[in-house]
Amino acid sequence: MGARARALLLCLLAGATVGTMAAGRPPDFDWQLPPGFPAPHVPADNPMTPEKARLGRYLFYDTRLSTNGTYSCASCHEQAKAFTDGRAQAVGATGELHPRGSMSLVNIAYASALTWANPGLSRLEDQALVPMFGEQPVELGLTRSGGPWLERLRSVAEYKDLFPKAFPAAVDPFTVDDVARAIASFERTIIAGRSPYDRYHYDRIEDAISPAARRGEQLFFSRPMSCFRCHNGFTFSGAVTFEGREAGAVELHNTGLYNLAGALSYPPSNAGLYEITRQPQDVGKFKAPTLRNVAITGPYMHDGSIATLEQVLDHYAAGGRTIADGPYSGVGHDNPNKSPVVRGFAMSTADKTDLLAFLTALTDDTLLHDQRFSNPWER
Amino acid sequence: MNHARRLAAALIVAAVPLGAQGVDTVSLIVNGDVPKPLTLTAADLTSMPRTTVTVTADGRDQKYEGVLVGEILKRAGAPLGRDLTGDAVATYVVASAKDGYQVVFSLAELDPAFTPNDIIVADTVDGKPLFDYQGPFRIVAPHDKRGARSIRMLQKIDVVRLRK
Repeated sequence: MGARARALLLCLLAGATVGTMAAGRPPDFDWQLPPGFPAPHVPADNPMTPEKARLGRYLFYDTRLSTNGTYSCASCHEQAKAFTDGRAQAVGATGELHPRGSMSLVNIAYASALTWANPGLSRLEDQALVPMFGEQPVELGLTRSGGPWLERLRSVAEYKDLFPKAFPAAVDPFTVDDVARAIASFERTIIAGRSPYDRYHYDRIEDAISPAARRGEQLFFSRPMSCFRCHNGFTFSGAVTFEGREAGAVELHNTGLYNLAGALSYPPSNAGLYEITRQPQDVGKFKAPTLRNVAITGPYMHDGSIATLEQVLDHYAAGGRTIADGPYSGVGHDNPNKSPVVRGFAMSTADKTDLLAFLTALTDDTLLHDQRFSNPWER
Repeated sequence: MNHARRLAAALIVAAVPLGAQGVDTVSLIVNGDVPKPLTLTAADLTSMPRTTVTVTADGRDQKYEGVLVGEILKRAGAPLGRDLTGDAVATYVVASAKDGYQVVFSLAELDPAFTPNDIIVADTVDGKPLFDYQGPFRIVAPHDKRGARSIRMLQKIDVVRLRK
C-alpha cells in the first residue's frame, strides 16, 4: 500500500463519509465495546467516569425525578423493550400524551442528532433537560430552577455518596446541570451490539443467522429496496459521531406517511423538521431511527401509527401510506416532500419473510438483561 | 464470441435469485471496447497478482484484498501505460452490480501508471470471503472520499471508448 493510501483511510460503507480525525485522545473509560464498535465521542466538558455513569444510572431509574413521584426516565425507556416503552405515543407523568413515540436509547452515544426531528440537538446533556422541564408536553414535569425535587435528592442516602464521588471538584454537586451530566453519562454507556447479526458480521460465525436472514440482508443492501440508504452503518441509523470522527451531516426524511390536503401535509401536531425551521419543504421530515432491536421496539414510525414491522415493510413497498378516510386521509405516496429514496418496490412474500428474518436478527437479547443497564434501586 | 452472446450470459447470471449462487460458479465479465473480453472466475482472480488496500469503516480498519482493476483491464487488452494517450484517454469503465447499480471510472483512474489509486476488485475482507451482500466481488476505491463507487456484488466491467 502506498504512502497516500496509508495517509488517507476512507470510509467504505455506502453513504458514509470520511470523518475528521481529531487529535487522538485515548479513551480511558472502559466502554466494554462490542466488536466493530468505535469509542463514543464524549464532550470535553463532561468526561466519562464510572462514578458519574453510576450516579446517572440511579437518577435514570429514580421516580423522584418527576413532579408527582411516579415517573422516571425509565418509564418511557424500559430496558426490556430496548429502552423504548411499547406505546404508540409516550405518556408523561401527568398523563399527557406526547405526539411522538419514545425512541430507543441503545447506542444513542453515537447519534449525531437526538430526538425525532431536531438536527440542532446533539448533546445528551441538553436533551436530558427536555423531558425534565418540557411543558408542551409535560413529561417529567420538574421545575427548571431545581427546588423541592433537587432538595429531595440531597436527603437520599445513596446520593449523599454518589453525587460527591461523581463530581469531586464541585462545591455543591446537587445541581440541575450535574443531574443532566450524570444521566447523559449513563445513557452513553448503553451500548449494545451482540445480536445474532453481530456474531455473523463481526465474529464471522456463518450460521449465527439463518439463510433467510442472509437473503434479507442482501435485499436490505440492494436495489430496489435499498433500506441502507437511510439506515446505514453499525447503528443502522442516520449520521453518527464517535471518537475521532465529528458528527456527520444530519439527514431527515419524509417517508410519505401522510399527505393531508392543505398547507401542512402532516398532522399539525407532528410536522417534523418543519416545527424547527418553518420551511414548507421540511414538513414531514423525521430521523431514521436505529433498526437495532427493531423487532421489539414497535409500534413504529415517529407517531407509532404503524403497529407491526410487517406493515412497515408494506408501507415502504407501496412508496407511501394511503389513508382512505378520516381526518388524516390522503395518498402518502404523492407527498410533495417525500424522499426520492422512498419510491416503492415489488416485494414477494418470500422477500418479506427474508427481510423480517434479517431485521429480527438485529435483536440483542443480552442487552435486555445486562446488569450494567438495569434498575439499581431493585437490587 | 460475439457481444450479444456475452450479454446473454451476463443476463443469465443476473437472473439467478439472490443468494443462490456459490462463489465458484459466479463470474466477473469484462467486456466492451477491449480486444480480449474476459470471463473471470474466483479462481482466476486468486491466481492473479494480488493487492491489499486498507480502508476505515465506522472507525475500524478493514483490509480488502483482490486484483487491481488495471491488471484485469490489461489482460483484456485495454490501452494502458504508454498506450493510454491521445484518443484512448477518452475511455471510461462502467462497473455493474447484480442489483443493477452502476458506477463509472475513467480508464486513467484505473491505470496504475497514470494514477496511484489502488482501485481493486476485492474478493476478501480481513482474510475472509466477502459477505453475501457484498460479494463475491466488489470494487474498492480506497481514495474515494465516499463509498458510493466501491460497488458491491460486482458482476460486469464494460470498457467504453469515446474515440475509436
